[in-house]
Amino acid sequence: MTLKKKILLCAAGWLVLVSVLHGYLNVNWAAVLNDYRPPAKRKIIVAYIPVTCQLTCPVTDYISKYSENGEMFLPRMFQGFPEMKEALISNKVQAAFIVAPMAIALVAQGVRIKVVYLGHRYGSAVVVRKNGPVKTFADLRGRTVAIPSRFSDERLILFRAMKVWGMKPDSIKMVEMAPPDVSGALAAGAIDAFSMGEPFPSQAEMAGYGRILFQARDYWPDYMSCILVVRQDLIDTRPDVVQVLVDGIARSGLWLDKGKPYREDAADFVGRYYYNQKPALLRWALTKPMNRVMYSPLAPRKADFDLVRDLMIETGVLHKKIEFDQYTDTRFSDKASIQTAWKYDPGIAVAR
Amino acid sequence: MVGGIADLVRHGLLLKYVVASLFRVTWGFVLAVIFAIPIGLTIGWYRRAQMAFNPIIQILRPISPLAWIPIAILWFGVGDLAAIFLIFMGCFLPLLLTAINAVQSIPLVYINAGRNFGLRPAELVYRVLYPAVIPKLIVGLRITLGIAWLVVVAAEMIAVSSGLGFLIVDARNAGNRYDLVVAGMVLIGIIGLLLDVGIRSLERVKSFRWSYSED
Repeated sequence: MTLKKKILLCAAGWLVLVSVLHGYLNVNWAAVLNDYRPPAKRKIIVAYIPVTCQLTCPVTDYISKYSENGEMFLPRMFQGFPEMKEALISNKVQAAFIVAPMAIALVAQGVRIKVVYLGHRYGSAVVVRKNGPVKTFADLRGRTVAIPSRFSDERLILFRAMKVWGMKPDSIKMVEMAPPDVSGALAAGAIDAFSMGEPFPSQAEMAGYGRILFQARDYWPDYMSCILVVRQDLIDTRPDVVQVLVDGIARSGLWLDKGKPYREDAADFVGRYYYNQKPALLRWALTKPMNRVMYSPLAPRKADFDLVRDLMIETGVLHKKIEFDQYTDTRFSDKASIQTAWKYDPGIAVAR
Repeated sequence: MVGGIADLVRHGLLLKYVVASLFRVTWGFVLAVIFAIPIGLTIGWYRRAQMAFNPIIQILRPISPLAWIPIAILWFGVGDLAAIFLIFMGCFLPLLLTAINAVQSIPLVYINAGRNFGLRPAELVYRVLYPAVIPKLIVGLRITLGIAWLVVVAAEMIAVSSGLGFLIVDARNAGNRYDLVVAGMVLIGIIGLLLDVGIRSLERVKSFRWSYSED
């Protein structure tokens, strides 16, 4: 065998070996095969990121695996909103949990999606350094605060608080940061505060260097942040599937609000099998106190969204006034209102 | 850091993530080699082709492969294909330029000698062009494989749920797990070194190293 042949053979052998190993170890064949099923039978893919605002997504997936009908959808974890948005636009995922202002902005830009349900209520907080110079909100004047995105309710809550304290909109410097980075940045003194969804405030609190300055609900009653959006083509062609999804999320919300054992069980299985976060961290975020984040009622309400939209226009991230019924479809939440919590006792099974 | 790597081994993730990253790098790199080298050699051989394509190559060249991330997701979704595409984009242009440059720097006397010996075009390619460009191509391959390994980490941070890049971003999400972040960095460094050693072994093949100066 010539040397050239040997080199080519080695290269081809490596290509085959690494491909077979990858196919065996990493590829989720159920998801790959799903793409080749007839459209009417295909399971929809629901995108989420590992934050407690979207806890109902993994909870629904986990519990529904034990229900009579089996799993309803394929959950897909993302690391940030921009990628999620791109996957949604290109129909690589059909439903996603995104922040409410982003959903409104996308619809205003012509993306055909609809808000069908909320992910949670409350569950965001502004955190400052423990024993740091910031004692009240007014102390944040001239300081730097991290926010997850310009299209986030965590940014809007700061504007609401500034209004209450009589501060000018430009008196706080806001920087966009990836949520996982903010705790470290606060501890290192790179930022003076952050406004984020759970479990990042809990993380700073647990580690001992963060102090909650205020919870979102202190300045925004019935606060909501992450909401469930679905592509319009799915609503048009398979409304039954959307209904099943919304029903499932509604049932999970009621289940999570049943009491502490339910929250603790969710913290355990979501932390281990979905978010890859320490269950103790999620337990803190979900139970200290219990109303830190709530999962009912989750039907979209006009007043809540009008508030978000008006704040967006006021703060310059939305340039036209669009109406509630242009970006929401409440048919599914209306029907879901008769749902009851899952009949699933905490800790009776392990994930398959 | 050692604890982080031990953790990965215990959960059976080490092999999985290493294989995932190697799979994407291999395919992105191989596809770039398959496309870039023949195209580059052709463009380099025909002066007019070079004049025609040079402007577009020079415009595309400064664009970081990471700038293609949103387009990769729109075209290929979130999965292996998007990551492979990003690696391909990172490798294609450097390899193309190496191939163009390799053809153009063949001393004219080799080609003239080949023609004087009456070689047909196919023979000229196989017996003069190919051996003449190999040493430069190997240097180009080595540099490009380094780029591929750089890009895979960034690509895995956005588009997939396995691999060493994913390990780093996932560890950031997991709270205070900076041991895993450092473990990921160390593994990336070690595997990058091994890849470089592998491709450098090509330089030691005797028939490939005719143009290197003797030590």
